Amino acid sequence: MIQILIYGAVISAIYAMLAVGFTLIFGVARILNLAHGSFYALGAYAVYALTAEAKLPLWLAAILAVLLVALFGILIERVLVRPLRRRSMLAVLLITLAVALMVEQVLLLIFGSEARNVPSFVSTAYHFLGVDVSGQRLLALAAGILVLGGLWVFMQHTKLGAAILAISQDAEAAQYVGIPADRMYSIVMGLSAGIAAAAGVLVAPFQTVIPGMGLLPLVKAFAIVVVGGLGSIPGSILGALLLGYTETFIAFKISIEWSQIVSVAAVLIALILRPTGFFGKRVAF
Amino acid sequence: MKFKLPWLAAAAAGAFAAIAFPAAAEETKPIKIGVNTAIQLQVGRDAIDAVKMAVDEINANGGVLGRKFETLVADEGEAASEGPKVGIAAVNKLTGEDHVDVLIGGYDSGVTLGELPHIARAKKIFLGIGSASPTIQQKVKDDYDHYKYIFRVNPINSAKQANGLIDFIVGKLKGELEYSKISIIGENAKWVQDIVPALKKGATEAGMEVPIAEFFDVQTADFSPIFTKVKDSGSQYLLIIISHAASDVFVKQWYDAKVPVPIGGIDVKAQDANFFKRVDGKAISEVSTNFVLRAPLTEKTVGWWDNFVKLYGRAPVYTAGGSYDAVYIYADAIKRAGSAETDAVIKALETTDYVGVRGRVQFDALHEVKDGAGFVNELFVQWQQDGNRVVIWPREVANGKMINPPWITQN
Repeated sequence: MIQILIYGAVISAIYAMLAVGFTLIFGVARILNLAHGSFYALGAYAVYALTAEAKLPLWLAAILAVLLVALFGILIERVLVRPLRRRSMLAVLLITLAVALMVEQVLLLIFGSEARNVPSFVSTAYHFLGVDVSGQRLLALAAGILVLGGLWVFMQHTKLGAAILAISQDAEAAQYVGIPADRMYSIVMGLSAGIAAAAGVLVAPFQTVIPGMGLLPLVKAFAIVVVGGLGSIPGSILGALLLGYTETFIAFKISIEWSQIVSVAAVLIALILRPTGFFGKRVAF
Repeated sequence: MKFKLPWLAAAAAGAFAAIAFPAAAEETKPIKIGVNTAIQLQVGRDAIDAVKMAVDEINANGGVLGRKFETLVADEGEAASEGPKVGIAAVNKLTGEDHVDVLIGGYDSGVTLGELPHIARAKKIFLGIGSASPTIQQKVKDDYDHYKYIFRVNPINSAKQANGLIDFIVGKLKGELEYSKISIIGENAKWVQDIVPALKKGATEAGMEVPIAEFFDVQTADFSPIFTKVKDSGSQYLLIIISHAASDVFVKQWYDAKVPVPIGGIDVKAQDANFFKRVDGKAISEVSTNFVLRAPLTEKTVGWWDNFVKLYGRAPVYTAGGSYDAVYIYADAIKRAGSAETDAVIKALETTDYVGVRGRVQFDALHEVKDGAGFVNELFVQWQQDGNRVVIWPREVANGKMINPPWITQN
């Protein structure tokens, strides 16, 4: 039981990081960012490249990786998304899909399809309450909580955070009071990409790093965000807990084979019971 | 009238040349070997390089029946994500567009099974050097006329590997280490589904308890539930059957959590020469089967191994030994048949008796490479300190003692 509690928490923290970033950019800029999984993959590959090729120390590589991917996110928003936003959100959706496909192919070309190895930050194993957990996983959990906590503090207690909330409520009104909407969108995209990259950096030591690694997390983030309510951060966290714990529970109690199917079924049931998600409002495109 | 005679002579000479020269050209036209393999993986790269090595050696000695070999390669893709369609396209390209004379390759059994009808329809000999499912060669028995082109040179099929594993379980785990409870897990791939039930049966018949015998998805990224279950069951050893799944991640997660259960079995990625380094040494004490190692399996093995390392700067994996032998076996069959014509070569292949780098190669009625004493065998190799590989089973070829994971102090 304790194992499920701990492992479930680790998985949920990672899912929460992915989902929150996804819902943030949607809630604020109304962008359904299909390249979100790419930020996750790029985070993992960046930390691999910086440690294995540039031979940087791990902690430095991790920080750089997150910053680089955040910059990449801002670039995407500035160069590809902004010009299209006036036209249609469908065009934006498609351009993010194009970015996702491009990133996967570029990673395949540069790094090949074999799984890459990222060294662990923490090598010790911990035993408490009868459970063996690797230090790396606990680090992922702690970092995830820190990042989400930091995000909450940022949103609630800084001017920039208030500005972002304002934009998400009413972009036009926010502009009337002098908040530069376009610049806010870029910042939020950078934030979203950075959090996704952080998730990638944290799980890279104990997950498979392959070019296609961003697809499944994107699908799960999307499912979580829909269940939690599009645009709602607490909803995303709740949805992440639901998915993470269902998967872990099934994997431990029944069989790993069933964990993926049952978790998707859980999402389906949640949507049937509450089509707008736990905390969402009906959104029209 | 007078003008016609020179033209007639020229025409006659031309006709004669047209008939005679292609026949002569036929005699010196290169024999094309098509290699269909997963070029992104080490098993694929080594297959290609070993074929090239053998082809270069044979060509340097004048080729076969005065004809040289030529190598063409096509990518089978990653079976785990793409399925058989890329492999089928590769085979069709090699047979239909490049008109190869023989196919040497294969890795994923599902892909090979998908390719078989296309290979049979193209009437090309296929020397399998990577896939292990017995279902592939079963077709030779079920429909000889249609599938007589299919041979397996390497590895010994998964059912025979299962027998080798049962021998390891009963002889080593039970006999020498006196374990009484083991668990078995394998990836959810075709060849593993063939093996795991056989292993469980063999172990229980020998009086051992097998509390867990499960499959996991090839795409699984998180093995902690498995490790926890196996540990909680009180198992003393975890037998693993992995080829396509994430061996690197599996081993790293096992080491990081210091799971108090030693692991070993079939782990194809753990055969890679750089596996130990790739996982930062976390594969220590893992046992994995191998079909070729730098050991005198035959008088040719060590020399070939050293040549491969000199040529390519890395140690070969199991497909390399198989591909190298396959080229020589094919050349030997052409020589004995006196021609490269497919049906004649098939007859000659069936009576092969060739000592390669892995052992002595003969084929049985299903065109399967024979296993057992004196033939091609399965070795159990353990990763030990500093990445040294030690053969710990079978007893006759073992060159070291088996060790425990460093965090387990006694048996």
